[in-house]
Amino acid sequence: MIRWGIAMAVVAACVGYLVYSASGGSSEYYLTVSELRAHSPTTGDVRVAGVVQDDVQRSDGGLHLRFTEKDGTASMLVDYSGTVPDIFRPGITVVADGRLGADGVFHARALLAKCPSRFSTTPYTS
Amino acid sequence: MILAFLGSGALLAGLVLAAFSALLSFWAGYAENGVMIQVGRRAFYATAAMILVAGVLLETALLTHDFSLAYVAEHSDLSTPIALVAAAFYGGQEGSLLYWTLILGILGSASLLASARIGLRLAAYSAGIMAAILTFFLVVLVLVASPFDVLQITPPDGLGLNPVLRDGGMLIHPPVVLAGFASFAIPFSFAAAALLAGRSDAAWIAHTRRFALVAWGLQSAGLVLGMWWAYHVLGWGGYWGWDPVENVAFMPWLATTAYLHSSQVQERRGRLRGWNFGLVMLAFLLVVFGTFIVRSGIVPSVHTFAVSAIGPWFFGFLGVCLLFSVGLLAFRAGDLKSHAEPAPAVSREGAFTLQNLLLIGVIVVVFWGTMLPLVSGMLGQQRVVGPTYYERAAGPLFAALLALMAAGPLVPWRHAGAPLWRSLRWPAGAFAFLLAALLVAGVRSLPALLGLSLALAVAATVVYEYARAAGRWRLAGGGWSRALALVMRRRRHYGAYLAHLGLAMLVLGLAASHFWQQEKDVTLLPGEQVAVAGYTLTYAGVQNRELADHSELVAAMSLGGQSLEPARATYAGLGGQSLTHVAISSSPIADVYVVLAGTNGDGSASFRIFVNPLVSWIWAGGAIIILGVLLGNAGERRVGVAPVAARVRSPVGAS
Repeated sequence: MIRWGIAMAVVAACVGYLVYSASGGSSEYYLTVSELRAHSPTTGDVRVAGVVQDDVQRSDGGLHLRFTEKDGTASMLVDYSGTVPDIFRPGITVVADGRLGADGVFHARALLAKCPSRFSTTPYTS
Repeated sequence: MILAFLGSGALLAGLVLAAFSALLSFWAGYAENGVMIQVGRRAFYATAAMILVAGVLLETALLTHDFSLAYVAEHSDLSTPIALVAAAFYGGQEGSLLYWTLILGILGSASLLASARIGLRLAAYSAGIMAAILTFFLVVLVLVASPFDVLQITPPDGLGLNPVLRDGGMLIHPPVVLAGFASFAIPFSFAAAALLAGRSDAAWIAHTRRFALVAWGLQSAGLVLGMWWAYHVLGWGGYWGWDPVENVAFMPWLATTAYLHSSQVQERRGRLRGWNFGLVMLAFLLVVFGTFIVRSGIVPSVHTFAVSAIGPWFFGFLGVCLLFSVGLLAFRAGDLKSHAEPAPAVSREGAFTLQNLLLIGVIVVVFWGTMLPLVSGMLGQQRVVGPTYYERAAGPLFAALLALMAAGPLVPWRHAGAPLWRSLRWPAGAFAFLLAALLVAGVRSLPALLGLSLALAVAATVVYEYARAAGRWRLAGGGWSRALALVMRRRRHYGAYLAHLGLAMLVLGLAASHFWQQEKDVTLLPGEQVAVAGYTLTYAGVQNRELADHSELVAAMSLGGQSLEPARATYAGLGGQSLTHVAISSSPIADVYVVLAGTNGDGSASFRIFVNPLVSWIWAGGAIIILGVLLGNAGERRVGVAPVAARVRSPVGAS
C-alpha cells in the first residue's frame, strides 16, 4: 500500500510538472475583437473570435486573404496566408490565431472557422 | 404526419416501460423475487423494441422525404443521394440522441441475455441501472429534443445535410463513434450493480471485461475512423487537432485501456478491486461529461454544436452519475480492501500498475487542456491551449507507456525471474537498432527518436511472443488445425498482442507523419511542374463538372502515371457553400496530399501540397487493433465464472 502511494505520488508529481510547464509556455488568450482592443499588448500569440465582414479580398489564387473581423463594437483588419477553411465566407464566426502587428493589422498564422455543425442548420420558422 | 404521431407515441411508451423496468428491477433484485426480475428484464427488452420502432419510423420519414417533420426538413433534401439521406438519421442532434439510445437498448438487451447465469441480484440490478440510464435519454428525447416535432407548414424541400457531412465517411464514422459512446454504459451498469449487490469479487470481471472490450473496440474504431475522415475530407493535411470534441472521445478510451489491463491483476492476483470499479465508472462519467461539453458549447471548439437545451440536462445527469458512483465506492470501500500480498515492483502487476497511473496522467493532461478555457474564463481572461501543450505534456507520458508496452509483456507475474534481460533482448535490440539507424540518418529530435524506436521495440516484443508460440507449435508437430487450436486456447493473449502490434504500427505512422510532414504552397500555370520531397507533380489544367447535388471545379494534376484530381465543390442549394475535395495518392511510404486553394483568371491554379510519410500505417494499425479485439473477444463462453473465481482464490497466501 505504501509503495502504491509512493508510485502514485511520483507519477502525480511528474504529471503536475508536465502540465504546469507545458501550459505556461503554450497557452494563448482567447479574446473577442473588443477584448483585444481593451487588452494590453501581449508578447505571445492570441486567438481572436469575430464575425467576417463583407470586405473579403482574396489574392494569390485564394491563398492570401484580407478581411475585417468584427464583434458587437470593435473591428480589426486580418491578414492571412494559407489554405482557407471551406466554410469561410462573410457572416460566419472565425477564430484568428496570431498577433496584432505594429501596423494595426492582425497577422493570423492560422484561421479556424467555426463549423456550422450538423447540429445547427438554420431551423425553419413557420 | 402520421409517422410523427406514431414516433412520439413509441418514444413515450418506451419511456414508461424504461421507468417501470428500472423501478421493478431494483425492487425485485432487492427482494430477490425471481419472477419480478424476469418481468423487469422483459420490460427492458420491450423498451428496446419501442426505441427500435421509433428509429424505424424516423428512418422511414427520412427515406420518404416526409418534410412535415422538422428533423427531416432540417437535415435532408430531395437532391441528396439516398445513402446520405439515410445517414441523416444520426446527422442531427435529436436523431443522434435517438441512435445513441437505440444502441444502448440493443447492447443492453444483448448483455442481459448473456448475463443469465451471473446471479439473480446482480442481473436485476444491472438491468435496473441500464433501464434508469435509458429513462434519462428517453426523457430528453420526449421533452427536450424530440426528432418527431412537426412543422406547422410542410416545406416543399428540405435544407439538406451540411456538405462537410456529404461523404462516404458519414456512413461509417458517426454510427461507430456514437455506438462506442453508448456502449460504455454497459460495463458501468455491471460495475455499479456488482457494488450494489455487494459482489466485489472477480465474478463480475469476466462479464464486464467482455463488454468493456466491446466498448473499447468500438471507440478505437471510432477514433481511427474520425482521424481518417478528418484527413480525407477537411483538407488541412492532418488528422488530429486536440480539439475538445476529439479529446472527450479520447479520454474514455484511455480509462478503458487502463481497465482492460488492471482487471487482469484482479483476475490473476485478486488485487486492485476498488481501482477497477473506479476505472469502469470513470470511463462512463467521462462519456457523459464529454457529451455535456460537446453539446452545451461551454468550451470553444472548432465544432460548435448548437448550444441547445440538452446541455443542462446532461449536466444534471453527470452530477447524479458522479454522486452515485462516488457514493457507491465509498459505501463498499470496506469490502474492496485487497487481501492478497503485494507483489514486488518489478513484476507484471507492477508494470500494469505503472501503466494505469501513466494513463490516468494522460487523462489529467487532456482533461486540463480541455477545461482550461472554462477554468481560466471563470478566474479572468479566457485562455486556450493548442497542440503544443498536449505534445509537450502528454508526449513524455506516451513515451513511458510505449517503453512499458515493450517491456511489460515479458515481465513475469509476481516476481521478476533472474533471466529477465534475456527476454528483453529482443525489444532492446530493436530499440537500439532503430535509434542508431535514425541517428546515422541525421535525426536529432529526441521525441522523434524515442517515438519511432520505442514503437519498433513494442512490435519486436509482439513478434517475439508470436515466435515463441510458433516454436511451441513446431515442437508439437505443426499443422493448421493445431495452430488454430493453439491460438484459440490463448486467444485473449494473442488478441491482446495483435492489438499491441496494431498500436505500434499506428504510433509509427503518427510519429513519422508528425515529425516529417512536408508542406508547400504553389501557384502553377497549365503544364508547369512542382517537386515536393522528391515527388514531381504536373498541373494539367482546370475543368468544370456538374454532379447531382453540386458542381466541381477540378484542377487535374499528374504524379508519375497517376492522375490526381483536387477540386472545389459548390453546393447550389446551400447559399453557394464550397467544399474542398482533397486528392490523395497513397502508398505505404508516403501520401501525396493535394488541396486546391483556388484558381486565377490566367488559367493558373494555387495548391497546397503535403507529403505525409507513413500515414497509411495509421489506418492499417487501426484495422489490426480491431482484429485483435475480435480475436480476444471471440466466443469466450467456455471461460465461465467459476474458473475465474478459483484462480483468484488460489494465489492468496501461496506467494
